[in-house]
Amino acid sequence: MTRLPAQPGEVIDRSRPVDFTWNGQAMSGFAGDTVASALVAGGVRVVSRSMKYRRPRGYISNDYWDPNGLVQVGDEPNVRSAHRLIEPGMAVEAQNVWPSLERDLRAVTGLASRFLTAGFYYKTFMRPAWLWPTYEKVLATFSPGGRIDPDTPHRYHDKRYAHPDVVVAGGGPTGMAAALAAAGAGARVLLVEHCHRLGGHLLWGDEHDRALAAELAAAVETAGVEVLVDSTVAGRYEDNWTGIVQRSHPVAVERLVKARAKVLIVAPGLIERPYVFDGNDKPGVMLSGAVRRFVNMYAVRPGSAAVLFTANPDGDAAAIDLERAGAEVTVVDARRGEGIVRALGGSKGVEGVVLADGRRLDCDLLVTAAGWTAPTSLLNMSGDRPVYDEAAARFFPSVSIGNVLATGGLAGDGTLDELIEHAMATGRLAAARARAVSHRLQAATARAVPVNGEEPEWPVDERPDLARDPHPALFRSTTHGVVDFSEDVSSKDMVGAAAEGYDSVELLKRYTTATMGPSQGKLETVNTVAVLAEARGQTIAEVGTTVWRPPYAPVTMGALGGRLFEPVRVSSIHPWHEANGAVFMLAGQWIRPDHYGDPAGEALNTRQNVGIMDVTPLGKLDLRGPDVPQLLSHLYTNKWMKLAVGSVRYGIMCGEDGVILDDGVTGRIGDQHYMMTTTSSGAATVWEWAENWLQTEHPDWRVHVTPVTSGYTSINVAGPKSRTLVRRLVGDVDLDPEAFRYMQVRTATVAGIRDCFMWRIGFTGELSFELHVPAGHGLTVWEALLEAGEDLGIRPFGVECQRIMRLEKGHFIVGQDTDGLTKLPAVGMPHLLKLDKPDFAGKPELTWALDDTSTPVLVAIQPTDPSVVPDEASQIVRPGTDEIIGRITSSRMSPTLERSVCLGQVLPEVSRPGSELTVVMIDGRRITARVMEHHAHIDPEGERVRG
Amino acid sequence: MLIVPCPNCGPRNAADLRYVGESRPRPDPNSASAKEWRAYLYERANPAGMLRETWYCRSGCRRYFVLERDTVSNEFTNPPTPVAKLGKRP
Amino acid sequence: MKQRPPRYSAARLVSRAARKRVWPRVWREAPLRNSYDVVVIGGGVHGLATAYYLAANHGITNVAVLEKSYLGSGGSGRNTAILRSNYLTPEGVIFYDRSLDLYRTMAIDLNMNVMFSRRGHITLAHSDASLRTMHWRAEVNKLQGVDSSVIGPADIKKLAPVLDTSSHPRYPILGALYHPPGGIIRHDAVVWGYARGADTLGVEMHQKTEVVDIKVTGGDGPGGKGPGGRVTGVRTNRGDISAPVVVNCTAGWASLISDMAGVKLPISTRPLQAAVTEPVKVFLPVVVVSGTLHVYVSQTARGELVFGASVDPYNTYNIRGSLEFTEGTAGHLLELMPGISRMRLLRQWAGLCDMTPDYSPVMGFTPVEGFLCDVGWGTYGFKAGPVSGEQMAEAIATQRTPDLIGPFSLSRFERDALVGEKGAAAVGH
Repeated sequence: MTRLPAQPGEVIDRSRPVDFTWNGQAMSGFAGDTVASALVAGGVRVVSRSMKYRRPRGYISNDYWDPNGLVQVGDEPNVRSAHRLIEPGMAVEAQNVWPSLERDLRAVTGLASRFLTAGFYYKTFMRPAWLWPTYEKVLATFSPGGRIDPDTPHRYHDKRYAHPDVVVAGGGPTGMAAALAAAGAGARVLLVEHCHRLGGHLLWGDEHDRALAAELAAAVETAGVEVLVDSTVAGRYEDNWTGIVQRSHPVAVERLVKARAKVLIVAPGLIERPYVFDGNDKPGVMLSGAVRRFVNMYAVRPGSAAVLFTANPDGDAAAIDLERAGAEVTVVDARRGEGIVRALGGSKGVEGVVLADGRRLDCDLLVTAAGWTAPTSLLNMSGDRPVYDEAAARFFPSVSIGNVLATGGLAGDGTLDELIEHAMATGRLAAARARAVSHRLQAATARAVPVNGEEPEWPVDERPDLARDPHPALFRSTTHGVVDFSEDVSSKDMVGAAAEGYDSVELLKRYTTATMGPSQGKLETVNTVAVLAEARGQTIAEVGTTVWRPPYAPVTMGALGGRLFEPVRVSSIHPWHEANGAVFMLAGQWIRPDHYGDPAGEALNTRQNVGIMDVTPLGKLDLRGPDVPQLLSHLYTNKWMKLAVGSVRYGIMCGEDGVILDDGVTGRIGDQHYMMTTTSSGAATVWEWAENWLQTEHPDWRVHVTPVTSGYTSINVAGPKSRTLVRRLVGDVDLDPEAFRYMQVRTATVAGIRDCFMWRIGFTGELSFELHVPAGHGLTVWEALLEAGEDLGIRPFGVECQRIMRLEKGHFIVGQDTDGLTKLPAVGMPHLLKLDKPDFAGKPELTWALDDTSTPVLVAIQPTDPSVVPDEASQIVRPGTDEIIGRITSSRMSPTLERSVCLGQVLPEVSRPGSELTVVMIDGRRITARVMEHHAHIDPEGERVRG
Repeated sequence: MLIVPCPNCGPRNAADLRYVGESRPRPDPNSASAKEWRAYLYERANPAGMLRETWYCRSGCRRYFVLERDTVSNEFTNPPTPVAKLGKRP
Repeated sequence: MKQRPPRYSAARLVSRAARKRVWPRVWREAPLRNSYDVVVIGGGVHGLATAYYLAANHGITNVAVLEKSYLGSGGSGRNTAILRSNYLTPEGVIFYDRSLDLYRTMAIDLNMNVMFSRRGHITLAHSDASLRTMHWRAEVNKLQGVDSSVIGPADIKKLAPVLDTSSHPRYPILGALYHPPGGIIRHDAVVWGYARGADTLGVEMHQKTEVVDIKVTGGDGPGGKGPGGRVTGVRTNRGDISAPVVVNCTAGWASLISDMAGVKLPISTRPLQAAVTEPVKVFLPVVVVSGTLHVYVSQTARGELVFGASVDPYNTYNIRGSLEFTEGTAGHLLELMPGISRMRLLRQWAGLCDMTPDYSPVMGFTPVEGFLCDVGWGTYGFKAGPVSGEQMAEAIATQRTPDLIGPFSLSRFERDALVGEKGAAAVGH
């Protein structure tokens, strides 16, 4: 375990030492070291404890997927220490150890491992039931991860849309070759490499390998291929939407790059598979690739006396590397029928090995090269179901997908030259198919002139098949060992689970949790399948494999979430509100003043003097055309064919099911020009609803609908002195009560601002003028009103005041006083339902609803005790029971009446004026209340609004 | 998300559109029985296969149109037609 | 007489291990017969619970559960395992509360530790409108005897310190509906527990058995199917089975099975996606839901965050999942709990949901005699598995609709007597 002299392929910079800490102790490495290489160079052998039995663990695969290498770095949990590069001052700690990595007291579970087989918890801890919460807490201490600090801020994460023709997943020799060929054929190429540099397995290969890696990487650079390193194609989604996580970025913590790849090339190479035998999780048992990376890339010798169990040339190469590094190596060759049975050793790691022939060898490093797993994830996500090849002892893709092409180890074997030739052919095919896809996408867009001529023929896949090298089928020795290192699941657990009936791969996975941990099956899936096949006496092909789900590599929540681009909307008067003590509320997308400190006072002032309110969020649709009356008649339940120019009418819209959808007023501004208002939250829905009728049932109606909600700043001027105030600012409209009556609309110049329109309506129950001012001038008009109204006692009012006043007046709010089942007849406005119209939305249901006597209706309610305000949503029950017969939908203390006032929904049987109701308060008290004659608690005749 | 072939805007991410659902003719509101009307309101063909459905191009041309899609493979067939060009549906 | 399998207990776990004895199969494999009293289609929690309660409560044991894949392969093994009964309508609350009761005693009743963690459940409100709905639910719940109340930001912070209850976020937390009896459970164990329980009582479970047709005679539709007909059996990929009663418990595939009998359903199949992060030490002791942000999240005993969203925006039987889901949900989760930004998403998946217009199920008898449905379970089926099984079994055994499921009959759509559950069920996990 020492740092070797300079190795020819090392990637560390010995001139730049880097200091960091490991469990609080000072450590040192070089720039370019991973945490793993620096730790192992520093003599560390045990880096974690296993999840269930707390067994000491060391590096096994020494790459991103190493299930034993997860560490805490500062506030970041589950850092892949064999991938993460060391940085000065980095604080690295072992995770989930108690009290320390060296002595984990929970290791007593290891002694009981015989009883604690997979899924044991399903069979115990049931009685006594009251103890279960305690068991739960104990089990939770075994949760395997690091820790987060809830106060960690969500730092800067970014997203980017990339627009390549071809995305290549994997920057090894075949990925680079494919990228080069695709770029050479004219495609824009994005090459994504999981590790910190291009090269793949060539980086830990011999000098020819390294030379080729350098040559390809240089060519990639000059070919104009965009390269992302330390980045992973995490997912392939519908229509080749690819998500790429870029872990190293100069500014952002991480970045999510998204691209609609016209063609995706999948070239991740192969992942080395562990071998299952007794003791295979002891520190010092490693895969051949792990050893070669340690020695060749980081100049670290992970052991001095090695036994190497090999079945392939990569394993053989590891022997050469280890010998060069000065280790003694004994080779156990599977191809000669030799085998290993058991690793020996204690808590410090492997000390020896028992061979199949009974020999026992001492060693401090036990290396296995037992075969490969094809990481077919991205192909799975594209619809492929890999098929097992007995001779090659691994899975291969089975389905040809037009815009997803595999090359490299996924596709087959061969010499480097053969693989690169296949990759180049793949790159060329990808470029040609990308052109065809591009043509289709462009041709699918309606254009005056077709852009690019005839559609090219779909390029045929004429790549020669790669050979498949035979490989011994090595999964498990004659002993049982660990299959899933992150979940601490052994082959013995699996055999037991299969015997209990969890004998399909999905059931086995769910029962034992194998493949469910942080490495997501990269190392353990095929062994899981193989152990199950053996237990069932079936072939691996018969058992099949699990479906790999996205993401290919874990992605941080920060990168996925990025920045929250959900803007809020404010009116042009917002700065004034902010400067003048408004308390804001969130209403859908809008931020608007709830009040200015004294909502009751605002209401009293508006009833006595004059108040102004910013009602900009009110939905506004500009309707033009000769057939607007038809549209209005269809949308609203009342009549609209004879609305005079200058008049305004209130209407309610229902869905085809008769349920109230929205309400508002619409005014006729000109001969073929109308302005419709909707509720603030209903603006978009109503627009789409109108378009739906215009485009589907009545394409013959000539109507243009334009949403102008933000185009106008809307100001409600209310109160008995409102006319006096408006008169001071409007000179071009006769405001005399007889000339400009209630429910009329005029175009006006307000405070010198032309093209405003103004209508007389009265949601607050007061004489009021609603001004709609071109948005850029909203603040001007607002300030002009305040100035001109100073002597009239003008005060701004907010939403809360408006709610008080509208409730005093008995006006309901769609969605608050009505719900998802409230049909028009329930709100008690029979004059708004005109069934003699030939057609309108919801007509049949509304016709039938008139006969309905079972659904709740809206009534005004006053509690017997005027000082009691039942909370909104308080339930109304049948006296002496808990049977619900209604609820309070709105309630406030009325400053005008100095008593509580409510609206509520009650069953028809108790809806008659004077009916006594029992209301259950939130604290459980029951109070009595009375149904009122009119919805309006004040001015039921409407004299004030008509004033 | 899949790509939806809008007849006006070209291929668009489905997130740009609103899915309306199976395209159903509206019964005559003056003669429909309750059973017919409520079948129009609530019953939905839900095949694992070809489905004729309405989309609304909310962030683009703001047109409603009808497409046919295989609900298993999510592939669209037939060039889409704007609903308006179909004239009034039966 | 079948031999009873050994019971699960800590003592037996130790003694069997000491004697190196393998546990018997959790449910046995039997040859498929050509006739049963009841055929249940769908081997998820609803189908298995129906079969179990038929045997356990009514002595009807000549029952086959047919599953086209493996038991629990559909929604039962894909949901986020959240249990609660804080619905909006009295009929919903009573129904789901009965389910919670059955879940509460399930470990002992079924002799399988289903690991019900009654940790409490909070539904956040970010606007005064949603706060009003929370109050509405709380008040309805209380009147049905269900523990629910509205709490403010300070209490929310105590329950879940990771939540950002400051006023800065785009979606400030104004309050929450707190439902202490809610929690999470090990969903697969529920499936296996019912399967084992049903097996012990003589019910047969047949995996990889796909129903390809339903045999109906005397109906108004083509081939004698449809309203007015009666069911005589099913055709499967492994042969024909005759049965006077066939129950459709197939969730996302409900329309396809129902079409085989000629019964039309008001159902659209939509994918529902979910995801899980890598484990970290437990920091979130309650289930957190935000309807406004379309997200629900809990932390398992293993330390993983499991979260989900609302259903996908279009019908499909394709469950590959989307990047938009993980992006959108992660963004909203970070809005609620910025502290999780460094946790990593490990895996995403999807299941198929059978959505109805009123976010309530379709249960009980249909216009085809002998053909019953327990479908329309949308995104809330797992919670209702036990009570649905219990009530469907009662309907089959007594030939009448139990009161508890009366509001959920298929005929309510023709009568336009919908259930007003949308406000609590749309994203209500």
